[in-house]
Amino acid sequence: MVREVAESCVESLLTEIVSQYCNGFYANKPDLAARRIEAIGYQVGHQLSERYTMERPRFSDHLEAIKFICKDFWSELFKKQIDNLKTNHRGTFVLQDNKFRWLSRVSVAPSSENTGSIQDPSAMAESKEAQATGMYLYFPCGIIRGALSNLGIPCAVSADISNLPACSFVIRIKA
Amino acid sequence: MIVCVAVVGHQNNPLYIQSFTEADDALKLHHIVHCSLDVVDERVNNPKRSGPTLNETFLGLLYPTENYKVYGYLTNTKVKFILVTTDLDVRDADVRNFFRRFHSAYVDAVSNPFHVPGKKITSRTFAERVSGIVKSFGLSSAG
Repeated sequence: MVREVAESCVESLLTEIVSQYCNGFYANKPDLAARRIEAIGYQVGHQLSERYTMERPRFSDHLEAIKFICKDFWSELFKKQIDNLKTNHRGTFVLQDNKFRWLSRVSVAPSSENTGSIQDPSAMAESKEAQATGMYLYFPCGIIRGALSNLGIPCAVSADISNLPACSFVIRIKA
Repeated sequence: MIVCVAVVGHQNNPLYIQSFTEADDALKLHHIVHCSLDVVDERVNNPKRSGPTLNETFLGLLYPTENYKVYGYLTNTKVKFILVTTDLDVRDADVRNFFRRFHSAYVDAVSNPFHVPGKKITSRTFAERVSGIVKSFGLSSAG
């Protein structure tokens, strides 16, 4: 896969933002760091949605806006579309990306060597790794929330990483 | 000649309003812009004329007054652009072209990281670019 300089720059920037907020500014307050990173993403999404919706007719309902996020918006950001979109038709949407670009170089090591010897610490380490990976997802969550709010859809976005590098974003639209 | 352009936010808060006349009639023009917001609301909430024009960003002629014609444009993010002109025979294509350029100027202005969303646009670059677009309005050379 061809990788461009700008792309690597963005990834490095994201890594640096996360490490700066988690280990520098809010070293002992992961919740606060997460909120700050999400807020940065929100502003980015807010501005990008303004740019990418130029020259297109207005959306008539929520589904159309979500589809726009899945197709055009995702293509602009990650050069691919969302792989799977699920909805319960009551305001919850699950967007699944089978190979999320910003996580493609994150590896959660299956600590197979440790299993068996000491059970508890390895489980703890795993959850720590998952937590560290999760920090990288607040930024894209913020982007989605920012884009949708700018399109007039207030919502909450969370992410789920049960099997890397697949990643799903859960959008809950506020009634 | 364009006498006034305006950008109005999604809560009908003015983001940018600029008149281009020598005379002291800014207040009158602001009043016209203000009135046109109701027409925009009406157009959007009662889409009687369905068909291809439905949900298009360009709203067309909002209403003609004795001396002015008022055109509107509504983005996906519910930001309204209003154009007041004294020209009586305006080509639709010119107006569309104007709004397209105005919109891209707006997008560039709000992409400034120092711009606070929902606040007035104070960027001098934006103002200069808008007056450039206004000056070139209707010229056949305008691309």
